[in-house]
Amino acid sequence: MRRRPVGLWIAAVAGYAFLYIPLIIVVVYSFNNSRLNAEWVGFTLDWYDKLAHNEEMLAAAGNSLLIALVASLVSTVLGTMAGVAMFRYPLRLLPVLVLTPIAIPEILMGVALLIFFVLLNFTLGLVSVALAHIAFCIGFVAIVVRSRLAGMDESLTEAARDCGATPLEAFRYVTLPLIMPGVIAGALMAFTLSIDDFVITFFTAGAGTVTLPLQIYSMIKIAVTPEVNAVSTLLMLLTLALIIMASRLAPSLLGTQEEKP
Amino acid sequence: MASRAPGRWGKWLVSGPPLLYLLIFFAVPTLIMALASFRTPGEFGGLAPLIDDTGALDLNVESYARFVAEPVYAQVFLKSVWYALLTTLACLALAYPLAALIARSPKKYRNLLLLLVILPFWSNFLIRIYAWMIILGPQAALVRSVNGILGAFGMAPVSLLFSSFAVLACLVYVHLPFMVLPLYANLEKHDQALLDAAQDLGASAWQRFWRITFPLSLPGVYAGAALVFIPALGMFAIPDILGGPEDSLIGNVIKQQFLEARDWPFGSVLSIVLTVAALLLAGLAAWVGRGNLGTPSSAGESRA
Amino acid sequence: MKRLVLLLASLLFALPAGAAKDEFHLYNWNNYLAPETVKRFEEFCKCTVVQTYYSDNEELLAKLAAGAKGYDMYVPTSNAVQALIKGGRLKPVDKSQLTNLKNIDPIYLNTPFDRDNKYSIPYAMSTTIIGYNDEKIRELGLPTDTWAVIFDPKHLEKVKGRVTVLDSANELFAAALKYLGYSANDVDPKHWDEAVAVIKKAKPYWAAFNASSYIKELTVGNIWLVHGYSNDIFQANLDAQEAGRKFKILQGMPKEGAVLALDNMVIDKNAPRADLALKFMNFMLEGQNSAELTNLIGSGNPNLAAVKFIKPELLKNPAIFPDKAVQAKLEQLQDLTGAQRRLRNKLWTGIKAGR
Repeated sequence: MRRRPVGLWIAAVAGYAFLYIPLIIVVVYSFNNSRLNAEWVGFTLDWYDKLAHNEEMLAAAGNSLLIALVASLVSTVLGTMAGVAMFRYPLRLLPVLVLTPIAIPEILMGVALLIFFVLLNFTLGLVSVALAHIAFCIGFVAIVVRSRLAGMDESLTEAARDCGATPLEAFRYVTLPLIMPGVIAGALMAFTLSIDDFVITFFTAGAGTVTLPLQIYSMIKIAVTPEVNAVSTLLMLLTLALIIMASRLAPSLLGTQEEKP
Repeated sequence: MASRAPGRWGKWLVSGPPLLYLLIFFAVPTLIMALASFRTPGEFGGLAPLIDDTGALDLNVESYARFVAEPVYAQVFLKSVWYALLTTLACLALAYPLAALIARSPKKYRNLLLLLVILPFWSNFLIRIYAWMIILGPQAALVRSVNGILGAFGMAPVSLLFSSFAVLACLVYVHLPFMVLPLYANLEKHDQALLDAAQDLGASAWQRFWRITFPLSLPGVYAGAALVFIPALGMFAIPDILGGPEDSLIGNVIKQQFLEARDWPFGSVLSIVLTVAALLLAGLAAWVGRGNLGTPSSAGESRA
Repeated sequence: MKRLVLLLASLLFALPAGAAKDEFHLYNWNNYLAPETVKRFEEFCKCTVVQTYYSDNEELLAKLAAGAKGYDMYVPTSNAVQALIKGGRLKPVDKSQLTNLKNIDPIYLNTPFDRDNKYSIPYAMSTTIIGYNDEKIRELGLPTDTWAVIFDPKHLEKVKGRVTVLDSANELFAAALKYLGYSANDVDPKHWDEAVAVIKKAKPYWAAFNASSYIKELTVGNIWLVHGYSNDIFQANLDAQEAGRKFKILQGMPKEGAVLALDNMVIDKNAPRADLALKFMNFMLEGQNSAELTNLIGSGNPNLAAVKFIKPELLKNPAIFPDKAVQAKLEQLQDLTGAQRRLRNKLWTGIKAGR
């Protein structure tokens, strides 16, 4: 029998409201019959129509999605490894390397990475952007995974090893399910950071590379039209759909299946 | 025990790949820019050549001296620390109930509820801020009701837009998921049975929270605080778009060094100060909370 | 899980490999080239125009200073052109291929930034002036042809909290220096201190330093008076009319003078397709093509051959087409030396830190 405290419910609902009121404005204004994102004038589907013909914007959105998927995947894997390693072993260098990208101002990191890529004569493009995103996302995943592990009982893993499991099996069947909520939380944060990044992307993008934030921020001094609201709304829905699909494809991994009795 | 792979080998296997990646794509580039803090700015932008006309290495500490000599930069820096602190505390207050609710819901809804928290943040940052400008704008309901209340007490009306309040509200908004997610990851593993037992023994709701839930959740609190405070310190876009004339933060000053002032060495100095300060504060918080975090060695002691 | 990985991997390999041959990489301001013009140029040169965008000269300069390459052409403002020339990043322009160069008004050629136009060709221009809500300003009886309305507390009292200025040290200092009667390019530190004093006295009345969302607020009616760019103010008026507002957004050219921003086409030293860049330059020097941009965003046009293609109401606007008297008072901003930039940034940080 669960006792549901009313106060908690009210506070949580207030929290969701705080999160969603601006979003509702964003979605509603994508139907706004005004070039500006400033006040409601009238209803129109024009912006969605414009968007359907705006190859540049659509390509930018596609690039952003692709980079975010790749970057969040790789940084989740590397970040989980880092989080586990930081918990299990007394390391000195890795915690610093993991935490510093979060602290360092983006513009410094962006300029530094550009100089670095140029020195290596590495062609700038989608790949350079993805590499940059992974670098700053690893830390977020690692910190969450590590905090999830904090105070966790290693005896379970030991028991598995004693029963003859290899380290990999012990990780896959014992540790990973236990830390999965932390891994998912980290992956979601990494995806969010990547899909909306501007500063680092600006410096590491190649001559023909456009991501959605780059496209949108370049409009900042003119007008950020509701076309941007439209593409954002669609991108959100698309990403939601992708994630729901993914959770159906790999339910046991993500822990979304029903609890077994 | 002999059948186990030696601990050291396992350590490199797990920590190796992220370490290597970060060394290549983070440490090296950053060291290049850290070195830049000792160089002279290029006359038209960028950096002056490392080897100057006389063939000597052109390194100096001029930029560091400037930071020390001109107190205005330290003032802006302290203001940013204050804003980041307020943001972190507000995020904590707002995020805790959300994370707790999600952690306590039936398992099949948890990931969905979590997704719902982060979904708004997959829309573009700029238009979310513009949405806030609409919410805080002079014509909107919020400001008018606030001013109505103030007017009832005979106080002058305020403008919510282009103010510190607007900057803080948006800072909290933008960083909220980064507090919710780590808190959730921690609260999710709390055993409800503990709380039920406490309730049976007569503990009030507040006591259950303050003496059981909160201490157990401290690792999540610290993780969330780090993931909010540190990025919030370097924020510049929000003050740029809806800040008032005095809401310039250290992130804005650093950006100006790389853009308008074209003074990369000084920008590098300010960045290094910011980064070191952020890491020190994070380290301090970790040290203070060490007893609650569960250090690695305590878990591995039985295996010596 | 495996299926997911395979799907992602296939997406990655589906990426087009390398740049196609006939691509012209243009790094430009957003909305600074009409889509019809792009299409016509693509037909003309049988190539693809790949445009990427920046929103500030300094962003362009920082990225180039860090070594970015792959661009054929960019469109910097004169002071940025100065920095690029001095930094040795531009390819000289082969003027023999620019048959349409004669279309440009000579007053915009052979400037101190680029004597003889060795590297840059004028593209479009704007002025930094005053924009205002005509209804409100008329009600309050404020002047609109002087910088005093932005800087003098006597006027500012009436519009407290309804004024924004540009978030640009260069632009605001220029306006303050002009207000004080000096040249916008004055580098005397004493004069700069005077400008700082003027700014600090006026600051309490300003709502914000803003270069991005001020136009929106002006159009909606939250802000009544701005220090802004002529193109933006022109566009704000169009938006206000479209939204059915009772007021108009008008441009005010201060009698003390203002900053003229002339944007130029330049070719990157290592441009992969400098030939396409030259073709584009000549193409944009044709009257009709040049006029399309002006008709789209209300930008000033240095091209005399474009006049007959431009909408009449734009031609009459002194902020878009300044007459000789106004032209005499407009100044283009010069690039500052490293030491000057450092001083200015220190003063600017002091202004914005609230001390």
